[in-house]
Amino acid sequence: MESVARTRANPKASSSLGSRMKLFWNDRTLLLMCLPAIAFFLVMSYLPMPGLYLAFVNFNYTDGMFRSPFVGFDNFQFLIHSGTLWKLTFNTVAYNLAFILFGNALQILIAVLLNELRTKWFKKLTQSLLFLPYFISFVLVGLIAYNILSYDYGLLNSLLKTMGMDPIQTYSNPKIWPYIIVVTYLWQSTGYGSIVYFAAIMGLDSEILEAAEIDGANALQRIRYIVLPWLKPTFIILLLFSLGGILRGNFGLIYNLVGANNSVLFNSTDIIETYVFRTLVNNFNFPLGSAVSLYQSIFGFIIVVSANWFMRKVSPDNTLF
Amino acid sequence: METSIARFRGKDGTSALVRGVGYALIGLFALFCLLPFILVLGTSLTAEKTITLHGYNIWPRDFSTFAYKIVFENPDMIVGSYAVTLCITIVGTAVGLFVVAMTGYALQRPDFRSRNAISFLIYFTTLFQGGVVPFYIIMTQWFGLKDNYLSVLLPGLMTPFLVIMMKSFVRSIPHAITESAKMDGAGDFRIFLQLILPMTTPALATIGLFIAIGYWNEWYNAMLFLSPNMTYRPLQLFLYNVVTSADFVRNSSVASNIQPRDMPLESMKMATAVVATGPVILFYPLVQRFFIKGITVGAVKG
Amino acid sequence: MKVRRILSMALAALLAVTLAACSGGKDAGSGSDKGSDGGSSPAPASSPASSDGGATDTSKFVTVSYVMLGNKPTNGQFEKVMEKVNALLKEKVNANLEIKWVEWADWQTKYNLLLASGESLDLITTATDWLDAWPNAQKGAFMALDDLLPKYAPKTWEEVPQDHWAETKYNNKIVMIPEDHYTQWVNHGFMYRGDWAKEFGITSPIKDFETLGQYFQNIKDKKQGVIPWDSEGTNLEMFDGYVTSKTDAISLPVSTGPIGIFYAPSYDQRFTAGSPVFEDTFVDFAKLMKEWGDKGYWRQDVLSYKGDAKNAMEAGKSGGVQHHTQSYLGNRYRMDQLQPGSELQFFPWSATRNNLVAMSITHGATAVGAHSKNPERALMVYDLLRQDQEIYRLFNYGIEGVQYVVKDGKRYRPDGYDVQRDEFYSDFWGGRVDKNEIPDGTLWDGYQDLYASYDQIKKPYPYGRFVFLKDPINNELTALTQVVSQSLPAIVFGKAGDPEKAVNDFRNQLKAAGYDKIVAELQKQLDEYKKLVGE
Repeated sequence: MESVARTRANPKASSSLGSRMKLFWNDRTLLLMCLPAIAFFLVMSYLPMPGLYLAFVNFNYTDGMFRSPFVGFDNFQFLIHSGTLWKLTFNTVAYNLAFILFGNALQILIAVLLNELRTKWFKKLTQSLLFLPYFISFVLVGLIAYNILSYDYGLLNSLLKTMGMDPIQTYSNPKIWPYIIVVTYLWQSTGYGSIVYFAAIMGLDSEILEAAEIDGANALQRIRYIVLPWLKPTFIILLLFSLGGILRGNFGLIYNLVGANNSVLFNSTDIIETYVFRTLVNNFNFPLGSAVSLYQSIFGFIIVVSANWFMRKVSPDNTLF
Repeated sequence: METSIARFRGKDGTSALVRGVGYALIGLFALFCLLPFILVLGTSLTAEKTITLHGYNIWPRDFSTFAYKIVFENPDMIVGSYAVTLCITIVGTAVGLFVVAMTGYALQRPDFRSRNAISFLIYFTTLFQGGVVPFYIIMTQWFGLKDNYLSVLLPGLMTPFLVIMMKSFVRSIPHAITESAKMDGAGDFRIFLQLILPMTTPALATIGLFIAIGYWNEWYNAMLFLSPNMTYRPLQLFLYNVVTSADFVRNSSVASNIQPRDMPLESMKMATAVVATGPVILFYPLVQRFFIKGITVGAVKG
Repeated sequence: MKVRRILSMALAALLAVTLAACSGGKDAGSGSDKGSDGGSSPAPASSPASSDGGATDTSKFVTVSYVMLGNKPTNGQFEKVMEKVNALLKEKVNANLEIKWVEWADWQTKYNLLLASGESLDLITTATDWLDAWPNAQKGAFMALDDLLPKYAPKTWEEVPQDHWAETKYNNKIVMIPEDHYTQWVNHGFMYRGDWAKEFGITSPIKDFETLGQYFQNIKDKKQGVIPWDSEGTNLEMFDGYVTSKTDAISLPVSTGPIGIFYAPSYDQRFTAGSPVFEDTFVDFAKLMKEWGDKGYWRQDVLSYKGDAKNAMEAGKSGGVQHHTQSYLGNRYRMDQLQPGSELQFFPWSATRNNLVAMSITHGATAVGAHSKNPERALMVYDLLRQDQEIYRLFNYGIEGVQYVVKDGKRYRPDGYDVQRDEFYSDFWGGRVDKNEIPDGTLWDGYQDLYASYDQIKKPYPYGRFVFLKDPINNELTALTQVVSQSLPAIVFGKAGDPEKAVNDFRNQLKAAGYDKIVAELQKQLDEYKKLVGE
């Protein structure tokens, strides 16, 4: 610890090549331990990264990625051209924020409550059940949703009708779709996501909890003053991670729930990915895809770097990098 | 000690309430998660014609196992797919988990000077991705991994998320442990292997579960890199093909020459889903014991 | 460079570790036979023949790949058939045929990645209308075949007339072989039940939208629980149907997403670009579809419905299906089995005013990959697949006695034929020829009359040599495609509210996306094309 502080305090010492090499040498085992992961990310992620250049060329197979004619920002134009870029960006961000906030809240709630329960079989069973939706592919989720929500044949409406109520026109009512999409998301990912929090709670020294209990703290107090603060760093890491992808929409979920044609709903359901998909359907175009991806990356990058900078000021232990 | 706590708990009204709410809420949510799956199961056991006529139903109106018969017509395919997925999942999870844990430990060591640089290097890859074209070319043309299971195994080994997650998990182990071990002359790798690893079982279980689930659900890389000339391909790809190509055959107006095939499309999709998903119910209880173990390790330590 | 080498070494090390870990019981076979199939030795060794006039050298055994679209049959029949095909190919041209299947799931991605990756592909299934043949030719995915064809695929070269070859040229080079000697009709229309029509007093075949509406209304009134047309929301053909039925306009080969909106006003004015969307016809269409939608001729939530009208019809739950002639013939046969007496009828859009244009000869075609290492042998194999009757029938139908039997010159299923066990298909859609076909005995007998009626009214396909170059208006076309795919479906199913307002909005959006600029460019290119074809 002290040595870190010293080198930090004395930039001259670390700037000379010899001493820097020496520092690396001191850390050699730790560096070696990181090496497989570094190699992995270099090969899997950094090696293809120059491919983003594709966003700036008129791609043809004879010249390949890097010799195809450079066209500047031409491939980005269709995004601006459509005039809907702002709305799409807004929708995408809004959905992701809802996913992040409600998702994490529910995940924490489930994890914390699970920790309080004492019936072993119940915990095992429910946790397994919570996991199930994560394994059902989006295509099936879309089919199931239609069979529940459809006007003439849906389970929901036949239930309403037997109870003497009026059927609901789900698929022509854009207002309710944000709820449907968020609820489906929660249904699918809560069990999976709560595992992280559950594991974090497991790392909490059980002695502390027991001591609190003996001191007369009730469950609510224990949760409020011990468990939740303990989960804060995990939440922040998860948050920072999700922020990086704030402009990457959940295509599989929304496309399969809404479909490619129901423009009645698009105002409240369209995200960047579904829009791009409709644009490119039957017109395969790799550079346009790269252009959109680059836009999403830069947007996410700016958000994350600012969030990380902010975190460094507020709670320096919980930064990503 | 244990008994006194138990007695104490019994008296505490708020705690009882919290538990009551917990049982109710989690029970309800679990049911909510189960219902659609029952719908899938019910549909898979319903005759195709009934589905066309009446839509999906929780209880099969017109019981039929025809869809399962067709799914198991070629049991080899399913068994083979299971074997491939299992092998990839086991090997990938073992290798990936070890590397992630090692990296996570190193990256949280406060005395490791390159930790921020490396963390950033890793995190950066979540923001910027090269896209599918260069990735495809690198995997198939440079490394020649087309029709090779490694093309599915390698990309799934780890994600930046898991590495950073691991890092934050290990951070909850006091650095003093590492320091005192260092005083005793232990090397960094030995400290990791013999001291830290056993203390992080819940974390390892979590990360391992995530890697394993990633492999289990993987179909995209398999779709890109494993052609139908491979006899056996991962399970989810098999399922994906059943589900989407049926859609394609039905909705397509582009290819004019697709023969109408006598397939119970809807129920078959659902039956394949049941076959591919069902065993997962056994997945979680298996991992769960490690979560419980984690508590005892923590308790003993103190 | 150095970095890359270090990286590959690191990867190799990683591979070695994981390979060792997972070596138990998995077949790495397909990875290893890759190196031995001729891919290892570069082209010069095998292609001296192409420069000098000497005899074709087939002394080296090579594997020719053929990219096909479809899901590989998994019942083992395919391998059995290919074994026989390959035995014949080895004997005749010392080659082995390997099919590279592009499965339907996400096929656009896979097909285009395959072409973009620079992988060595020999034969490739392509098409100008549904498989982006021109954009791919433009990107340099295909090899020019002018010099190779006469020498290595002489029979096909002879068979295809010069004016057909002209329709396969990009930049004056032949880039694909058309499936031009195979009769099929893929003009769209509506299939409806003859028995019900008769019951409703509709005695003569339906030939217009008004009668179709009557048929729908009668189903609504008299057939409880039947949806007149239980369509899925992705089917927008009604638009083309109405235009074809109400006007003389013919569709221009410009893709605008889910359905093309560019038409020439008539066959005589075939070099004039425009769109019926801006005509009154379109307003009438929007009104009619609104009326039909409101009356419940299709599901209330049709736009998100992903079901299957054909299935519903076979179960007696849908009054009909919208699709093309070829699938009508198949459905007719099935309906005769499943709903005996249903007398499935077909209302081709062309029936109203004989507005029918023949099919493009490049609806199916085969190209040779730009990076092919054995283009000569690939063409020799292709020539056999297309011209050698024995190989042709094996490759298309399977083994006689197992997959089919011939009775009175027609093809039938053998007794005890089991679809699951015996089914075979190769999806060879880039070179079928009528002369080698055995007529399908299970096809509905009336098909010849139907074909004959088409032959009487058809006009030759006028855009065979027209390649629309999108580059000058790429952004506008992309934006316009987006508008079409977003707004047209709701109009086609009458779910866009007030039809006049919806049409107006749609038109404004098209204009804002750059409609006028696209039409101007299209017109310019059509003018040049008109000169090219000498009219």
